[in-house]
Amino acid sequence: MNDNLAKMREAAKRALESGDVGYVIGWGATKFPDKTSPLFMRKPEDAERLVWNEYAIPGIAKYLLDDLYPDKPIGVFVRGCDSRAINRMMKDNRIKRENLRLLGIPCDGKDDERCTICRNRNPLVYDELLWDEAPTPEPKDRYFRANAVEAMSADGRYAYWSEVFDQCIRCYACRNICPACNCKECYVDMTATGFQGKQHSRSDNLIFGVTRAFHVGDRCIECGECERVCPMGLPIMGQTQKILKDINELVGDYESGVDAESENYLGVFDLDDKDEFM
Amino acid sequence: MKIKKDKFKDALASIAKEAKVFLPMKGVYASEYRVWDGAGEPFFERNTALPPKELLFPRSERMYEYDLNAGTVTEAAPDEKIVIAGIRPCDVRSVEHLDKVFLESEYTDVYYRARRENLTMIAYGCATPAPTCFCDSMDVVPTDAPGADVVMNDAGNSYVLTVNTPKGEHIRDLISSFLSEGKADDVPAVSCSLKVEKPDDLHKQLIARFDDPMWETLSDACLGCGCCSYICPTCYCFDIGRENRGKTGTAFRCWDSCMFSDYSRMAGGHNPRPTKKERLRNRYLHKLAYFPERYGTSLCVGCGRCIDKCPARLDITNVPDIIQGSESNG
Repeated sequence: MNDNLAKMREAAKRALESGDVGYVIGWGATKFPDKTSPLFMRKPEDAERLVWNEYAIPGIAKYLLDDLYPDKPIGVFVRGCDSRAINRMMKDNRIKRENLRLLGIPCDGKDDERCTICRNRNPLVYDELLWDEAPTPEPKDRYFRANAVEAMSADGRYAYWSEVFDQCIRCYACRNICPACNCKECYVDMTATGFQGKQHSRSDNLIFGVTRAFHVGDRCIECGECERVCPMGLPIMGQTQKILKDINELVGDYESGVDAESENYLGVFDLDDKDEFM
Repeated sequence: MKIKKDKFKDALASIAKEAKVFLPMKGVYASEYRVWDGAGEPFFERNTALPPKELLFPRSERMYEYDLNAGTVTEAAPDEKIVIAGIRPCDVRSVEHLDKVFLESEYTDVYYRARRENLTMIAYGCATPAPTCFCDSMDVVPTDAPGADVVMNDAGNSYVLTVNTPKGEHIRDLISSFLSEGKADDVPAVSCSLKVEKPDDLHKQLIARFDDPMWETLSDACLGCGCCSYICPTCYCFDIGRENRGKTGTAFRCWDSCMFSDYSRMAGGHNPRPTKKERLRNRYLHKLAYFPERYGTSLCVGCGRCIDKCPARLDITNVPDIIQGSESNG
């Protein structure tokens, strides 16, 4: 067992023994060595089931939305991406800081392509840090998907996104894992409104694709979980990457979820907005 | 009978003259049973991301069109001949289960029946189960598919064919010029590494534990998406809707999932399955309890797709494990 895992088990055990938290969320083993599953620890002895390895990949912050009014604070292990997810949901007024007990764990990078563009391995918000921070290695091209799409012609882009969304089975895994997809009720589930047809067709699939992209928009924390969970392997990070790239090029350096206070760029109404592009 | 592997595509071309041929193939993003274009390579190494149910039970299907001006209703009547070449034994079993629901219960589904009668299945005996495969724990033999019209097994530089049905004899006649003598008795046995032990009365024990706290623990990590049901070869729930354009319109049906909140939401807003706990319990019980109770067999065929693709790595085999008291990962 590595030292860090021992520290995590100790921290979870201590938190549960003290009674300060109701439960702690981390990662547990599955029957498969290359898969871990989010683990909910309720008793001190559950901490022994915690794992921490290169496959501790799934985002775990989104589960906080399942328990908005907990009796006791919820313990959560937070890597850089989880901390940005939590900042995101706090800024969006969906979760409260006092309901969280954040156990900071600087991440060592995981066995996943998406982690190569990570800009924050170290947690940005936490109550205690379980081991020393280490610098995040120079990330690969932040906009790798968007750049590839931008290089296409307009017709090429239409063909590209049509092919992508013809494959979409609309399981909504991308929506459900995404910390920025945190609406109390998703427009997709408001079936009586007719916003989006329930049948699977190119037009309704594209409606979902484009709506998800713009609803997440500038609030995307770039964790890449949407692509990881897609059972069809669709490259949907390209959508929000394009929006983030435009913001960064038009108005300057911008990242979502690095704190819980900074204003969004798109979700803000300002009378002094110059509306230069309108 | 045998067919040399280098003649396989020629044989497919003969079949393609009178039917649309589907092969398990890699796509740009995910593998599925795709229309064979005359050149593409089969993907036999592991099961496809999408199951074959789409070919019998499309994700979106027009049922009928109506025109109030003309006073007409035109019902869809699918009549395309389809041959799936290389369907896995687990997926063949899934079609047998869909038959029970759509053909053999009191109501016969006309759209399903039309497609099913036009379908010929050439199974490919599985030689390479994935780590998530457990079909041999669910009464499927990886190398054999009694429900298929033809079964083919890998035998080095050729495939050995076994014909099961009149539809299979027709296929044999179509490709006879490529066939040679050969026996099927040298197929090595194949075994899945993931084993599931389950008591004979699993369905009764599960229903008895309907209110057990285990459902809470099992559903902790569930995200409530529909991934498992849409990639499951035997999840067959659907919704029916209409699309009106003035006085004309279309009625359609499309896949639905019991994992979605609006699936069980009633008029007025009440939802008898308010959280993911009730929804996941329903899905697991449908596979392992309700279907066995009604049709005498598990609805899960052990293809392992849901284990492989679940974003939260939920594992349906944990359910029988808990009942057996041998839960391996807690």
